[in-house]
Amino acid sequence: MFPAPAPSRGGGRFTEAVNSMNEHDGNLLELTGISKRFPGVLALDNVDFDLRHGEVHVLFGENGAGKSTLINVIAGTFGPDSGRFLYQGREIRKLTPHQARVMGISPVFQEFSLVPEMTVDENLFLGRERSRFTFLNKRAMRAKAREVIAELGFNLDPTRKVGSLSRAHQQMVEIAKALLTDVRLLILDEPTASLTEAETIKLFALIDRLRAQGVGIIYVSHRMGEIKQIADRISVLRDGRKIATVRSDEISETELVELMAGRKIEVLFPHVDHRPAEDLLEVRNLTLASGSVKDVTFHARAGEITGIAGLVGCGKSELIRAVFGLDPVESGTVLLYGKETSSFKPTAMLRAGVCYFPSDRVAEGLALARPVRENVSMAALDLPEFAKGQVIRRKEEKKTIQDIVDRLKLRPPQIEPAVGRLSGGNRQKVVLGRGLAREIRVFLFDEPTVGIDVGAKLEVYELMKLLLEMGAAIVLVSSELPEVLHLSNRLYVMHHARMVAELTGQDINEQAVLACFFREDAPNAGSDEVPAERAVASAA
Amino acid sequence: MTTVAIEPASVAQPKLALVSRALRRIGFLPALLIVLIVLLVLFEPRFMGMFNIFNVARNSSALLIVASGQMLVLVVGGFDLSVGAVIALTSVVTAKVMAVMLEGAPEDVTLAIIAGVAAGMGCGFVTGLINGACVAFLRISPFMVTLGTSSIATGVALLLTNGIPVYGMPDAFVKDFGRAIWFGLPMPVYVSLSILVLVWIMQRRTTVGRYIHAIGGNVQAAMVSGVNTNFYLILAYTLCGMLASLTSLLLTARLGSGQATMSGNLMLESIAAGVIAGVSLRGGVGRVEMVALSALFLSILTNAMNLLKVNSKIQTIFMGIIVVAAVALDELAKRRSRSAREG
Amino acid sequence: MSEPSAAGAKLSSGQALAAFMVRHGLIIALVVMEIGFAIVEPLVLSPGNLLNIIQQTSYIAVFAAAQMVVIVTRGFDLSLGTTVSAVSVASALVMTGMVANGSTNMPVIMLMGMLTGLGLGLAVGLFNGICVSVLNVNAFVTTLGSLNICFGIATTISDGRPVFDVPREFSGLLYSGTILGVPAPVIIAIVVLIAIHLMLTWTVFGRSLYLIGGNPRAAALAGLPSKRYLTTAYVVCSLLAAVGALMLTARTGSGEPNLGGNVTLQSIAAAVIGGVSLRGGVGGTYAAVLGALFVTALSNCMGLARIDGYIQQIILGCVIIAAIFVDRLRTGAR
Repeated sequence: MFPAPAPSRGGGRFTEAVNSMNEHDGNLLELTGISKRFPGVLALDNVDFDLRHGEVHVLFGENGAGKSTLINVIAGTFGPDSGRFLYQGREIRKLTPHQARVMGISPVFQEFSLVPEMTVDENLFLGRERSRFTFLNKRAMRAKAREVIAELGFNLDPTRKVGSLSRAHQQMVEIAKALLTDVRLLILDEPTASLTEAETIKLFALIDRLRAQGVGIIYVSHRMGEIKQIADRISVLRDGRKIATVRSDEISETELVELMAGRKIEVLFPHVDHRPAEDLLEVRNLTLASGSVKDVTFHARAGEITGIAGLVGCGKSELIRAVFGLDPVESGTVLLYGKETSSFKPTAMLRAGVCYFPSDRVAEGLALARPVRENVSMAALDLPEFAKGQVIRRKEEKKTIQDIVDRLKLRPPQIEPAVGRLSGGNRQKVVLGRGLAREIRVFLFDEPTVGIDVGAKLEVYELMKLLLEMGAAIVLVSSELPEVLHLSNRLYVMHHARMVAELTGQDINEQAVLACFFREDAPNAGSDEVPAERAVASAA
Repeated sequence: MTTVAIEPASVAQPKLALVSRALRRIGFLPALLIVLIVLLVLFEPRFMGMFNIFNVARNSSALLIVASGQMLVLVVGGFDLSVGAVIALTSVVTAKVMAVMLEGAPEDVTLAIIAGVAAGMGCGFVTGLINGACVAFLRISPFMVTLGTSSIATGVALLLTNGIPVYGMPDAFVKDFGRAIWFGLPMPVYVSLSILVLVWIMQRRTTVGRYIHAIGGNVQAAMVSGVNTNFYLILAYTLCGMLASLTSLLLTARLGSGQATMSGNLMLESIAAGVIAGVSLRGGVGRVEMVALSALFLSILTNAMNLLKVNSKIQTIFMGIIVVAAVALDELAKRRSRSAREG
Repeated sequence: MSEPSAAGAKLSSGQALAAFMVRHGLIIALVVMEIGFAIVEPLVLSPGNLLNIIQQTSYIAVFAAAQMVVIVTRGFDLSLGTTVSAVSVASALVMTGMVANGSTNMPVIMLMGMLTGLGLGLAVGLFNGICVSVLNVNAFVTTLGSLNICFGIATTISDGRPVFDVPREFSGLLYSGTILGVPAPVIIAIVVLIAIHLMLTWTVFGRSLYLIGGNPRAAALAGLPSKRYLTTAYVVCSLLAAVGALMLTARTGSGEPNLGGNVTLQSIAAAVIGGVSLRGGVGGTYAAVLGALFVTALSNCMGLARIDGYIQQIILGCVIIAAIFVDRLRTGAR
C-alpha cells in the first residue's frame, strides 16, 4: 500500500535506522523559536510548532500571516534566521530542499515545482531517476508512474507534457510526485483549491491512509469545512506569530476566525454603505479565446461593490483581465456607461475610466527599480496634468503624486525611493495610487489583499469605501471568501469558466457560495481542461 | 447591438492546412533540406562532385560539433558567445605545444600529439568552466560572461602568436589524421557522427540530459527536486567549451597550422544552427538530431551560394537574415499554436 | 532583493564603507588607476594627455549612451559596431562619389554624406526595433543578425577597402574644428549627451523606456505604447551610432569597413561599468559618461604604459566581468 518503499539510493536504509531510533518519540517535527526576516518584514516571529506521527496538523491564518514562510522553512527552501529545528529527534541545520526530500519531507506547494516541457513521468522522477551509471531505466519509471497514479486514483496520462495539463491535473502530478518515495512528513499547501469535489474526496481518503501509516501531515487551508473534517490539531498564525495551537474538536469555527483575524470579524471588515446607482459596466455573453471564460454575463453599478467569488483557475481573474483588454476575447459584448466598446486595450480602457489592479504586483504591477512617483503616474502619462505632449511636467507630477501618497498613507510617505524597498502592503498602495492619478470610474480589483498585512488590508478596504462615496463602481475578484462575503453588495460566483450564481442580500453567505462550487461536478470534470500555462510559468 | 467577434487565428484555408499538416508530419527543416538538395542535384552538376561532397561533409561536421555544444548551453537557458574565441585559442595552443615539443624531442611524435591535443582540449575545458562558474555561482548573465571570456581568449590567442600562423605540427597529426579519408569519407565525418550519437544518448538516456533539460525548463523545480543545478549548469558550459575545442582540433589538423583567426563565423553559425533546429532561447527545448540536420542545411546552403559565386560578404548578410527569420517564424508559430490550443 | 532594509537598520561603519565603495567605486577606481599609472608613467597626468582622454571619451560616450538607451529597456545592441562601419563607409562613398562627379558645393556634399549615414542608422534601428518589439525576436538574436547584415553591407559596398579622399572640409567640420577653443567632437558629444539626458528625464518617451525595462508587463497594463517606444529606442540607438560613426570618419579622414571593430564591446562595457543594469530600468547619461571615461582612461593608461594591445583586450574582458559582478552586488543578487 501507500507509500511504496522506494528502492532508490539508500533512502530505505536511512529510514530504517531512523525508525529504530525514533519510533517511540511522540514528535516527528519540533520547531522552537523560529524567526525569519525578509527585507522590511518579520515573516516569522519566534514561532513554536510541532507535528506528531500520524496526525494532520492544519496551519490556519490569513495571507501573509507566515504560513508559507513556515512551510518553506520546514521544506528547506530557506533557513530560519534563528530557532531550533528538530526532525525525528535530531537537530537539523542548513537544510536544503534536496536533503529534506531525502529525509522524507515532501512538500506540495501552490506554485508547482514542475517542468512544463517534460512529461508527467519525467516530472515525477525528477531528481531521483531510476538509473544505472546515469543511464535511465525509462520503462521501469513509466511502469512505476502508472502504478502510483492508479493507486492514487488520479486520471492522468504519464506520457503527457505537463505544460499541456490543466491546473487541477498539475496539482495531481505535484501530489503524486510528493508521494513517490518514502514520505514521513507531507506538506500540503491548499491542495484542494483547484480540485473538483470528487478529486477532493479521493485526496482526503489518501490523507486518511497516510495518517494510518504514521505519516505526519501539515495541511495549509482557508476552508473551514475541510479543516474541521480532517484536522487533528490546528495552529493559528497571525502577523508572523503563532497565536494558538488547539485540538480540532475543541474549537468552533467562529472562534477560529476570530483567532485568525485577531478581532471580531465585524471590525476587520468595515461597514460599507452601498448606494447602487446606474450601470457603469455591463458584460454580456463574454467568451474568451482561451476558453477560460464561457458565456459570462454580469454588470457592475456605481456606488456598490460587485464581488466575484470562485476557486483558483475558475476564470474569474481572466474575466476582468479580458474586460481590461489583457486576454483575447472571442465573442460577447462589453458596455461602458451604457455604450458598447469595441476596443479592448488597456490604453483605451484607461481613457474610458476603467482600471485593472493585478493580483501579482511584482510580475505585472510594478517596476521595482523605479521610484514610487514614476510607478504611480505610470498609467496617466497621457494626461495634460502630467505631460504637455511629450514633455513631462515634473513639478506638477511631484505635487500630485505626493498628494496621492499622503492620502494613501504610504509609509514612509516619500515619493522617490524605489518601490522594491517597500513592503507588500505599501506596494499595493502604490499600485492603487494609479487609480487616483487619473479619473477612474470602474475599478477592477484582482485579489487586492493578497500578501499584505491586516493593517494594510483595512486601509485598502477603507480606500474602497472612499471610492464608492465618490461614485465609482468596484468589481472585487477574490479567492478569500470572507472578503467578498463581507464587502460585496451583490456577489457573483464563477465555476469552471461559467457564472453559476448571483447572490444578493441574505443569500450572500459561505454555504451558498460553497454549494455553487460543488454543484454540478461530474466525477471526471477534470476533462474540461483549461490550459494552465500561466500557472506553470509563474512558478518558474 | 453587434457582438464583438474576434476571429480565432486557427481558422485557415483548408489547402493551407493540408500543406502545413504534411509539413508537420515530416518536419519543416527536413522538408526544406530535401528541397534544397533536390534543387541542387537538378540544377548544379558540380554539387555532386566528389570534391564538393567532401567539402560539404567536412564543413557540416565541424559545424555540427560546435552547434551541439552550443545547443547544450541554449537548453540550460544561456548562450555561449565565446565558442569562436575558444576555437581560435585551441588552435593556437595545440599547434604551439606540438611545435615546441617536437623541437625538444623530434622523435617523440606521439607524446607531442597527445600533449598538444590535451592542451587544446584544456583550453575549452577551462573557458567553459569559467563561463559556467560565473553563470552558476555569481549569477552573471551568460551574455556578459561569455562576451568577457571571448575577449580574454581572443586576446590570449593573439598574444601567443602575434597574429602569425603557427606551423611545425607533426605530419602524423596533419596528414594521417586531419586530412585522412577513412572508408571513403573524410575523418571529421566519423568524429562528428560519434559526437552526434553520444550527445543523443546523453540527452535521451541519461540523467545528465534530463537534468540539463529540467534546469532550462524550470530551474526552481529542478532545484527543489534535488538536482544539483549549479553542477549541471557548469557541466553544460564545460561540454560546450570542449566540443568547441574538438572542432578546433579537426580544423587545425586539416589546415596544418594554428591560427588565431580560425573561427570565422562559427560562433554565429552555431547559434543559427541551434535556432533553426528549434532550440528555444528560453531554455528547456532542443534535440541534437535536429541540430545535426540544420548544421547540414546551413553547410549545404553556404556551399550552394559558393557554387553560385555569391560574394562571401553577401553570404554574411544572408546568414544574418536567416537567423532572425528563423526565430521570428518560431515565435509566430508559437503564438499560432497557443491560440489554436486555447481556441 | 536582499537589499538592506532602508528603514531603521543601522549600518556598521564597515558596511557603510562597503556601501560607499559600491556606490562611488568607479570614481575611486578611476582616481586610483590614474595615480597608479602616473607613478609608472608621469605622462599620464600631463595636461596634454588629460585633454586627450577627454577628446577620446567623447566618442565612446556617444556610443555608450546609444547602448544605454536600449539596455535600459532590457535589450542590447550587438550590431552597434558594424552599424558604425557601414555608416562610415556609406557616407564616405557618397561624399567621394559626389566629389568625383564634379560637385563642388561642399556644404551640400557634406550634408548628403551625413544624411546618408543617418538614414542608414535609421534603417538599421527600424529593423532591430521592429524585430524585437513587433516580431518578438529576442534582442540578442536580432542584433546578432543585423551585426552580420551591416558587416556584409560595409564590406560589400567598400569591397573591403578603406574609402579614402573624404573631403578635408568634413574632417574640418567634425574633427579639427573648434568653438571657443573646444574641439568639435567634445562639443558634439556634449550636445548629444544633453539631448539624451533631457529625452530620458523630461519626456514621456524616456520615462516609458525605464518603465518598460523595469517591468514590461506592468508597462503594458499601464497602457504605455510599448511596441512603438521600444522600436523608437532602437532607432535612437542606431542614430546615435551613426552620429558617432560620422565623428570617427571625420577623425580618420576615410570610410573604414572595420571602423566599428571594438565599438560594440567598448560601448556595452562602458555602459555596464558605469552602472546601467542589464536587467533593465536602471541607468542614465551620467552612468554612460562615467563608464566611457573609465574605459577610455584605462586604455589610455595601458597604452602609455606600453602594455601590449592583446593584453589590453584581455584586461578589458576581465573588467567587464568584474563590472557585472559589482552590478550584482549593487542591486542585490537573487
